[in-house]
Amino acid sequence: MIEIGIISTLALVFGSILIFLNAKLNVKDRKKEEIEKRLPGYNCGACGFGSCMGMVEAILKDKESYLKCRPMRKEAKEEMREYLENEKF
Amino acid sequence: MKLISLFFTALLTENIVLTKFLGLCPLMGNSKKEENAYKMGLLVVITTVLSSIITYIFYFQILVPTNTTHLRTLVFIFTIASIVGILEILIKKYLPHVYRSMGLYIPLITTNCAVLGVSILTIDNAFSFLETVVYSLGSSMGFLLVIYVFSTLRMKLEKAPILEGFKGIPIAFITLGIIALLFTRYGL
Repeated sequence: MIEIGIISTLALVFGSILIFLNAKLNVKDRKKEEIEKRLPGYNCGACGFGSCMGMVEAILKDKESYLKCRPMRKEAKEEMREYLENEKF
Repeated sequence: MKLISLFFTALLTENIVLTKFLGLCPLMGNSKKEENAYKMGLLVVITTVLSSIITYIFYFQILVPTNTTHLRTLVFIFTIASIVGILEILIKKYLPHVYRSMGLYIPLITTNCAVLGVSILTIDNAFSFLETVVYSLGSSMGFLLVIYVFSTLRMKLEKAPILEGFKGIPIAFITLGIIALLFTRYGL
């Protein structure tokens, strides 16, 4: 019985440390996810970056890169512009 | 004085790789390039020292009083995995170039038996807290030394005229075996 208690307490402590650190430090990863959500996700490669993940990397370097996306609709582009203007890089 | 001799025993005469054959997989997998080798070695040093300190505290403060020492292996692996996870997040944030060059290998430190081996050996040898710190530092520095020396050797081996069948991993194992043989003599 006491074994279960020890292991679960340890799991709780370590798990919360990891979750806390991840939320605190991995800001860049969350940004990537946010940008990827706003892309069409066809992985067509028409932009010249190979895939949507390549496009995310390109946007992180140069904000204007999203204009190269072909299948993206106008409203989506508007939304992306708004997001990129409000976010700090 | 005793601590100094313990440090050098762990570093050379009882080298964790060459006399106990622990931590061979990261040694073989990550010693192709000199720079990756010493980065890996340094990460192992940090992980080993941190985890052996924390596992020592856990063992004598939690497991011994509650009479559950049979949970040792489970708790130790758990602790090491968590420490590596924390280190990975910190490295990703503060040393992105290190993360990019060896991101895939950082979680592999979890399965490095040298880290678990040092934690268990400190308990088995009944070391005091200070001795644990010195011993883990010495052992992991031994790993760093071997992986660095071995990576330079392997870079030379790449260009050496070797039979086709022995190229790559086989000749690396033979080389390591010869070094280990020298160390066994030294230990006697």
